[in-house]
Amino acid sequence: MTASDDAPAVSVRGLRVRFGEVEAVAGVDLEAQAGRSVGLLGRNGAGKSTTMRVLAGVVPPSEGLVLVAGHDVRHEPLAVKRAVGYCPDVGGLVPRATPWEHLQLAARLRRLPAGWEERARELLERFELGHVAHRISAGFSHGMGRRLSVVLAALHEPQVLLLDEPFDGVDPIGVEATLEVVADARARGACVLVSTHLRELAIEACSHVTVLRGGSQVALMSAAEMAGEEGARAYRSLLD
Amino acid sequence: MPTARSSTEPPPGVGSDLRRAVVDVGILLRFRASSVRRPRAMRLGLALLAAVTLAAAVAPALLPGAGSSPRAQDAAVLLPTVLSALVLIAVISAVASGGGRELVARDPASVHPISPTTDHLGALLLAPVNIAWVIQSWALLGSTAFALGADRPARLAAAQVGMLLWLVLATSLAQVVAWALEGLRRIRYGVGVIRGGAVVLLGALVGLQMTERLVPVLDHLPTLQVVVGLVFGFTPRWCLTVSALVLLVLAAVGLGALLAHAVARRIPRDELRAESGSRRALPQPRSDVLALVRVDRGSVWRAVPMRRGAAVLALAPAVIALIGDLAWAQLVLLPGLVCAGGALLFGVNAWCLDGRGGLWRESLPVESGLVFDARSWVVAEFLLAVSLGTLLVGGLRSGLPSAGEAVALGCAVVVVTVQVLAAAMRWSIKAPHAVDLRSARATPAPPVAMIGYSSRLALSTTVTVMVFSLAATLGDATAAPVLALPMLLWSSYRWVRARNRWVDPQQRAAVIVTTAA
Repeated sequence: MTASDDAPAVSVRGLRVRFGEVEAVAGVDLEAQAGRSVGLLGRNGAGKSTTMRVLAGVVPPSEGLVLVAGHDVRHEPLAVKRAVGYCPDVGGLVPRATPWEHLQLAARLRRLPAGWEERARELLERFELGHVAHRISAGFSHGMGRRLSVVLAALHEPQVLLLDEPFDGVDPIGVEATLEVVADARARGACVLVSTHLRELAIEACSHVTVLRGGSQVALMSAAEMAGEEGARAYRSLLD
Repeated sequence: MPTARSSTEPPPGVGSDLRRAVVDVGILLRFRASSVRRPRAMRLGLALLAAVTLAAAVAPALLPGAGSSPRAQDAAVLLPTVLSALVLIAVISAVASGGGRELVARDPASVHPISPTTDHLGALLLAPVNIAWVIQSWALLGSTAFALGADRPARLAAAQVGMLLWLVLATSLAQVVAWALEGLRRIRYGVGVIRGGAVVLLGALVGLQMTERLVPVLDHLPTLQVVVGLVFGFTPRWCLTVSALVLLVLAAVGLGALLAHAVARRIPRDELRAESGSRRALPQPRSDVLALVRVDRGSVWRAVPMRRGAAVLALAPAVIALIGDLAWAQLVLLPGLVCAGGALLFGVNAWCLDGRGGLWRESLPVESGLVFDARSWVVAEFLLAVSLGTLLVGGLRSGLPSAGEAVALGCAVVVVTVQVLAAAMRWSIKAPHAVDLRSARATPAPPVAMIGYSSRLALSTTVTVMVFSLAATLGDATAAPVLALPMLLWSSYRWVRARNRWVDPQQRAAVIVTTAA
């Protein structure tokens, strides 16, 4: 199956994920169109990161239908992985590999055409990581690691960009660079999903937001509706 | 939780620091015990360990000829050397692990007020979590029992009490040496000094052996006086010897604590250099598997515990082989020990190399089987590198092997590598652990799991290499390949089964999510 023009880039129906007796995601429905950015909000343990992992093809769904760029994550995991760029919530870096080695591995496995190095260097410079391109990532600060994870997710200009907590511990310059990456992706028609606890940044980065609670989706609205004090009150009431 | 002394508090004395450290060790032990995944298996394992230790201390005394035969006399004559060997093994283990094992890993421990004294006492308690230490201890207790026999139980009991004290002393002394060398390693040029010192020490040992002066030197070690003081029952000399041992233990534990404090104040240069230095960028790999292997290889050889462990594994048995002037049929035994040790450095939890990067790596579009193959290749080449390094150095004095010996040696290396690889990859999927191998003291699994892995690996690899050692003495070059074939097939089957488990998305996700936690 391939994506047609009007088909959603991400379509999730009745997603459930169980780890033994724990149900991390309990019936999420989600739809996101190409060229749109959607924020995933919710408390700790709401199922945001697990949903992102399923969309990235890292964790298989226990139940439900999940289509990413028109590909079923259960039956076409490699096609999903080709379409997706994923910044995981924790670390996301091989401790004893350098940023450049991460980029080389991604470029090789994603079959990026010659000349990818130019974009890689541009991204590293944009995220102020150019000077540490050949240092192993174990010595990086948390914020540096987050910034590099966003670079790795964005390198191949994916159809679906999944950013899980990309602003966590990141300085203002890194936040700005991440917002630019999100804007660029939307501009070229990619779908972006951003999971974060920072409501203000979610509003700035996304056109829509969805709120998860207890593993289920409880609201889907435009980012504008979440703005300001009224939006903060609405968000707070959705969390309880 | 208080982490520093208030200006209004009086400075703590040595006694209060020690009391607090002892209490903290108890708390940390209970914490570790509560996080064991299979507590019943742990209790069973510990009970088994205690039972085997008791059997080692008593059963040989009941054997025919114990205490009276020429072999028993030989065992008695060798006891001082066994005591010295135990100190050597304990020192090598403690030094290689940068000051012994940690009760709690460095990063999670850093938020708690765990004092260097606590850390020191914890390292002492965890020293027996090492198959080389355990086997040497059993050898010491067993040799003592066989040398003395069971005719006079009180005499045997007195000797074994003394030997147990010697075990404690050897471990405490090893910890002192380990902290001292770790402190030295953390000063400028310290690493160079230690490497130079090791070369000089090894050269001196080999030189003594080659000039036939090693045995006279061993005869002059004070361990002879210790043995004489312990093996004649509860005599005044026994009391004096035991008192001296107790005093030495207390002194060594105290000195170790002081050195641990000194080390804690210094920065681990090895680890910092590994994390802050620039790496030369290599050209883009020509294939997917080469790209995967390159990253995996870097994860192994750039880790301080792996580099130190590989050097110790390759050199320590080789030097003993050189000193002992072992024949090729005996050298065939070494790959088993070395491969098992190599797997215990990281192979038993091979996916921990990716750390939290496992989630990102799993999102890359590549066949999961290829990822498994690349990881297996890197584990296997590590095992082969340490095995071949040992044989290369250990065989320097052994001349050229005969055709039968060469074939048996080759078969032993290949079979034991595939055997250990299959076990390691199987365990890596069955019981993954989230561990960070940044610290030189880190292990790929918790202490209790490491005991299980090391005993199973030691048993299986020892049996395998003994088969090939026997084949090497037969003088028939076809014997070893005939024996190797079924073993290789069985290990390959187990490796394929582990690969199939990895290819299953559910099982793979469980491994990745656990190691990235």
